[in-house]
Amino acid sequence: MRFADAVGFAMVSLRKRRLRTFLTAAGVTIGIGALVSMISFGKGIQKNVSESFRASDLFNSLMVMPGGPEGPSGDPDEGRPVKATVGPKDAVLDDAAVAAISRLPGVRAAYPDISFPAMVRYDGEEEFRLIQVVPAAVASSKAMAIKWGRPYSSDEETGVIVSRSFLRRMGTRDPAAAVGKTLTVMSVTLDLGQLLSSGLGGLLSGKGLPVATESYDFPVLGVTEMSPFGGGPNPMQSDVLIAPGPAGRIKRLPISSVWDLFRMQKGRLGYSAVTVKLGSIGDLETVGTRVREMGFATFALADQFAEITRGFYFMNMVLAAVGMIAIVVAALGIVNTMVMSILERYREIGVMKAVGASDGDIRRIFFFESGAIGLAGGTAGCLLGWATSLLINKVVNLYLAGQGVPHISYFAFPAWIFLGAVGFSLLVSLVSGIYPARRAARVDPVVALRHD
Amino acid sequence: MSTTVPPLVETRSLSRTYVVGDVRVEALAGVDLAVAAGRFIAVTGASGSGKSTLLNLLGGLDTPSAGTITVGGELVSSMSRDELARYRRSGVGVIFQSFNLIPARTALENVELPLVFAGLERAERRRRASELLTEVGLAHRANHRPPELSGGEQQRVAVARALANGPRLLLADEPTGNLDSRTSREIVGLLAALNREAGLTIIMVSHEEALVSEFAHGMVRLMDGRVVESGGAA
Repeated sequence: MRFADAVGFAMVSLRKRRLRTFLTAAGVTIGIGALVSMISFGKGIQKNVSESFRASDLFNSLMVMPGGPEGPSGDPDEGRPVKATVGPKDAVLDDAAVAAISRLPGVRAAYPDISFPAMVRYDGEEEFRLIQVVPAAVASSKAMAIKWGRPYSSDEETGVIVSRSFLRRMGTRDPAAAVGKTLTVMSVTLDLGQLLSSGLGGLLSGKGLPVATESYDFPVLGVTEMSPFGGGPNPMQSDVLIAPGPAGRIKRLPISSVWDLFRMQKGRLGYSAVTVKLGSIGDLETVGTRVREMGFATFALADQFAEITRGFYFMNMVLAAVGMIAIVVAALGIVNTMVMSILERYREIGVMKAVGASDGDIRRIFFFESGAIGLAGGTAGCLLGWATSLLINKVVNLYLAGQGVPHISYFAFPAWIFLGAVGFSLLVSLVSGIYPARRAARVDPVVALRHD
Repeated sequence: MSTTVPPLVETRSLSRTYVVGDVRVEALAGVDLAVAAGRFIAVTGASGSGKSTLLNLLGGLDTPSAGTITVGGELVSSMSRDELARYRRSGVGVIFQSFNLIPARTALENVELPLVFAGLERAERRRRASELLTEVGLAHRANHRPPELSGGEQQRVAVARALANGPRLLLADEPTGNLDSRTSREIVGLLAALNREAGLTIIMVSHEEALVSEFAHGMVRLMDGRVVESGGAA
């Protein structure tokens, strides 16, 4: 029997049982559709995260932390792959160390990670925020993604950069209009003069601590775009940024973080963390090693990215497994349809054998039938998965647009998803056809043709 | 017939035993038969005497429990499944009481069927099938499906199909069982003409004494799986 004839026979019989063929293929369509949208969702998220990581310049930075006896073990985020120091254990991360690090070849900038809490007033609203001190060189880099306005041009320029999400919390819808408006930073200081003059008596008399509030006004220079992943991989954890110069003039408790407090109690001064910007990711290894030799611990997001990639791999596996459930159901549908088809065509199979069809001929006809169901279902499934994904993407973006999140594609469709889905569908249908095809080939013509 | 020419069909101690549950049914119990080329032989016997079993074995649809079958010098009884398929395709043609046409296919397509499995090209198949339909007098019904044809017409299509690959042997299992007497006579007459003009060897199971005595050269009577009477076969 010719190949084309076997295909033709399969087609004739599928067309004859149109409804059942359609329903069985619809099962495959739904299964493949689910698989395609699941995988494209996984790939889409992965692509978005990878791209925003890459765009944020984060791979080019290195976090340096003191490598003291406790090291950074107090860090609650234990999953962070912090590389411990290999140098002296008592190195202090002070200005001298920062200067030494910034002189290392490949380092573009090194600046201490300083942030302090303060009350912030904007447009009549007040909120307690962590204000981060960022040098102008970093503020003007592409890591910042300032969409409205501009960064401060020097470390001495008075002005702040805020994020769009900060503005939203403050009730401002239009980020462009915020540029040039005034943001007030109110720091709380202990009034040492009053504390000394009133003595302990004053404290005990119920007046509380003599606290003074100082206000500083800053113009909003720039607004950064809100990250679509709720802050996600933004290098700046705080959403109010200020240059080192004006920051130094704000009076505040000399405690920038719990870490500093801890460190100071031990009589050691130094920064809790220093951010190092590199010229290129290629310098990460050498600079990291040199810094560790100086007695500090390092953390690089690029190191963590391998772990993130593993996480995505796992996520994609889970998504694919969910899609696979639908495929298994569809495969059982194919087996069911084909076995039914054998019972219905028992006599026809007998006739074909009586006039000379070999076992292989019969097997091939049935095999092609289930293969055709898989091919049709797989192709339609790709379309279904694609259409569904577009629809979901539209709805989600419509909803998130109301929250100020920029439009992004949550699904990615590399060509291999479609080719792979059709191929996989064909494979599944052929595997599903093995048992029915063998069973059809074993039909005994004498029994099939017995007078009834 | 010269005795030096070996018979076209020859069986030796041919047996076929079915096991149904715990019961063994001996459908054929040692049949020795020899049919010379060009003969038209009738097989008769009561229901359950083994006629259909004999035809199924000769047609390569079933395999014997014991004994041998030789057709045209080939040992059919020891063929593999694939060899049997090839034998059914080209060595033998069969027609049945219930015609066994495929209802969804036209008369022409039904006749084409054996040619499809023989691997012939479509155009060649069409041409050959049309010729065969003309030969059995059904050229004008070529594009009708079996349900649109009368019983006699359906059996003609079946005959044309049985002849598609040019076998030397035609087996007919009660071909007139579902036909009225006039049509029965036409069909058996058609077989006799094929036998006479094309030298086709025919073995036909039939109950119809009148037709058998009018057209057949010889007769084999079976009872309980054994040949109890035979004449004119060799």
